[in-house]
Amino acid sequence: MGALHNRKPIAQTVMFAVLASLGIFVLLPTFYLISFTLTKWTEIYQDVFINPLIGDTNWQQILRYLALSFRLALVTVVLDFLFGIPLAYFLARKHFFGKPLLEDIVTLSLVIPTSGFGVATLLTWEIVEPSYVIPFINVPFLVLIVHVALTFPYIVRTLQAKLEDLEPVFEQASRTLGGSAFTTFRKIIFPLSLPALFSGGVLAFARSLGETGATMVVASIHTTAPMAIVRWVFEFKLATASLLGFILIITATVAILSVEFLMQRGGAFKTPKFLLTFKIEDKILKGEKFLSGRPRWIKDVASLGAVVVVVILPIIVVLTSVGSYWSADPDTGKFQGSVLYQLFGPPSYFNTLMRATLTSVLVATVSTYIAACIAIPSVYLIERYRFGRTLRYLLRIPLIVPTSALGLSVLLLWGPGGLKLAMPGIWLIILTHIVFSVPVVVEPTIAAYEGSEIPMFEGAARTLGATPYDAIETVSLPMLERGILAGVILSFTHSLGETGATFLVMGSDVTVPPLVVNMVEALAIPAALFASAYLIALSLLLLFLFRMVVKR
Amino acid sequence: MPDVKLVDLTKTFAKGRIVAVDHVNLRVYDKEYLTLLGPSGCGKTTILRMIAGLVEPDEGEIYIGDKLVTGLPPEDRDIGYVFQQYALFPHMDVWDNVTYGPTVKAWEEEKRERIGREMLEMVRLYERFDAIPQELSGGMMQRVALARALAAGAKLLLLDEPLGALDAKIRFELRYELRKLVKDLELTAIHVTHDQGEAMAISDRIAVMKKGKILQVGTPQELYMNPQHIFVANFIGENNFLEGHVVKVDEKGVGIELRGGLLVHGHDKTKGEGERVALAIRPETFTVEKGRKKKRNSMFGVVERVRYEGTNVRYEIRLENEDVIVVVRPSLTEEWLNTGDVVTVSFPSEKSYVFTYPSHGLREELSVG
Repeated sequence: MGALHNRKPIAQTVMFAVLASLGIFVLLPTFYLISFTLTKWTEIYQDVFINPLIGDTNWQQILRYLALSFRLALVTVVLDFLFGIPLAYFLARKHFFGKPLLEDIVTLSLVIPTSGFGVATLLTWEIVEPSYVIPFINVPFLVLIVHVALTFPYIVRTLQAKLEDLEPVFEQASRTLGGSAFTTFRKIIFPLSLPALFSGGVLAFARSLGETGATMVVASIHTTAPMAIVRWVFEFKLATASLLGFILIITATVAILSVEFLMQRGGAFKTPKFLLTFKIEDKILKGEKFLSGRPRWIKDVASLGAVVVVVILPIIVVLTSVGSYWSADPDTGKFQGSVLYQLFGPPSYFNTLMRATLTSVLVATVSTYIAACIAIPSVYLIERYRFGRTLRYLLRIPLIVPTSALGLSVLLLWGPGGLKLAMPGIWLIILTHIVFSVPVVVEPTIAAYEGSEIPMFEGAARTLGATPYDAIETVSLPMLERGILAGVILSFTHSLGETGATFLVMGSDVTVPPLVVNMVEALAIPAALFASAYLIALSLLLLFLFRMVVKR
Repeated sequence: MPDVKLVDLTKTFAKGRIVAVDHVNLRVYDKEYLTLLGPSGCGKTTILRMIAGLVEPDEGEIYIGDKLVTGLPPEDRDIGYVFQQYALFPHMDVWDNVTYGPTVKAWEEEKRERIGREMLEMVRLYERFDAIPQELSGGMMQRVALARALAAGAKLLLLDEPLGALDAKIRFELRYELRKLVKDLELTAIHVTHDQGEAMAISDRIAVMKKGKILQVGTPQELYMNPQHIFVANFIGENNFLEGHVVKVDEKGVGIELRGGLLVHGHDKTKGEGERVALAIRPETFTVEKGRKKKRNSMFGVVERVRYEGTNVRYEIRLENEDVIVVVRPSLTEEWLNTGDVVTVSFPSEKSYVFTYPSHGLREELSVG
């Protein structure tokens, strides 16, 4: 009976501690740039819009880069849907021999180190002029490919999860009532998975908007908004960089919140009638019946083919190219153009690479650990309290905000320009990585929590005499184990490959992904190849580990 | 006009290790209400799904009308299917659910409206046309599911444990509504259930299944009065099983020696002398009298338990050979017995069934697990 008195205050303290950590380590850095921009508005305005030297050139540049980024993101999402929806359906409904492998490939592009992947893509598509722009839509070809590769998993995974959840009985009912396969998709599957499609689409859009690492490598003469932020920070044009970052963060926030709001209201239920039946319904039905009769495997093959070309091919190319560049440049035959020379010869990139690896691993380990400590209790807050829903939405924002904007925000908050908590270096990197690692651990854990019946099992444990803490430790945590582990591995891998934010806060403590970018800019291509291959191999290994762990 | 023919229908799972449906042959006549009855896992739902086209058979053919439909997708088979969990589309209201079939079949608006209205009125839910499924009770949802399956116009109705998820009382009422609807619309119906009371109440014929095979097909009366398989004798209604072997064969049947040397007569001409058998006698077939009075086909016993069940009284009686039998007698028209009473039970030989004793044992053969 005495224990009962102690419980409430302990629970409350824990709750406050967790909320405080979330606020300080995750939310504050994310939104700081906003308050910074607003407080320094007059200076920023002067510098960007009515600059004494260049008028409003800065503002024009901002607009141009934003336009490109938005166009890019839009086209990327369209292509993602085109290839991703059949793939998601395929993975959700069909069972076949290589299925885990295919799922791993999808996961791979979520965690692959972006700058390394950029190098791989650059090499694979050597025949295409790097600055080539696709007519009509006006987006650079290479950048588009890279963005599609890096964002399609968001759509495939959210949709696949929803489809696996969706009882096949609805599709079966539609079929027995006379609906063809395509009609069933349009009238039943699509409306019921709309929330998933929305979330997936918004995530993919925002990811594309914020993509920095790979873009920096393949963009050649083009500049996207996140890239501009990086450049301006190094040019000390902080006002312009802040304004652009401010705009990007606001966009990300608005996107997320509006999608969630929409989801709240309509949910998946009572789809408005006009969406279900059209005036030309008869013609549509005929067309769908026709399409359903055609061999359906065509679209499956097309999606799979796209995945192979865009994801697997570059990886294979970069891994094999290390071999061909090993002792000599394959084009000129010169030793100076070889991997060996650049690693162990005068440039001695090998040492730099080893030091960077150490830094990367240290950062990933520490930030993931701290993130997990904050994330796991946060899941309880989210599930148990009413404000939890808002919290969950807020936590999605750091994942969506362009990483370079995040880096800038952290730099201004904790760094020399702000609270002077840390100089650019390893601690600042860790603080930055915590910001997006917490949400990465939270989401799969929530998914595991909501997919299980933990409250019920905890209740059962309690009736058998377990204290709340016991129940959590012996019942819920084991059940959540897989979700937590998945989140942890994902967070670790993501941290290893992060480029954009790290670039701005690393100072001289270089991690591997920015090192790759530096190598490319220094035209040390063989070294960049080696580093990319090395990074990618590392993430493949981690993915293998992930698969082993989750399989249990 | 749809009659349904299943020829040598087979379905296995797990690379042949699980035989769900084992070379089944069945004929369902046009406008007949046939029930596939059996315990869980006997293959009845698999058969239904194969008829619907939701599952492809490994061997065999399915004919609907005279058309070979094996290989056709569900939307081309012109059937109506009612799912156990109703499967009402959660994002559509009742009206859109019910008119879904006519909509995807591109019927004209006028016809769609008319059918939708007719069907909803037939299940008495027209006023709820704009409700969404979450707002409805189980019984209502099932009626909407029924209306939806019927609105599509098919003449063959397939029902997969349609009443399984409902409360007992609603289940009881709906079963008769279901049959009436089917008969009024002159449909052919194939109904899957594990509830023998339900099957007996509404079917024209019943096909009893176990482990992928059909054991017997017949009218409820035929199955009850004349079970051809020991499993059917146990699954339909109740039966006492007494173990013994044949000691005499005569013109009227067989003399059977039960355990403990009890001698009775069974009405069966197919068993040979010396054969081990199980004698099945329904609880309501016995007559019971106080005291020990030797009669035709009689045995002595002691009443161990008396249970009142409303219309009947149920007695558990331990016979002199230690076998325990259940005897059910009407409660209002007879004097009751008491626990501990010494009694004589007897039964008419023509109302008993003699089965070859199952090689795997009685319990195994009768089990529904």
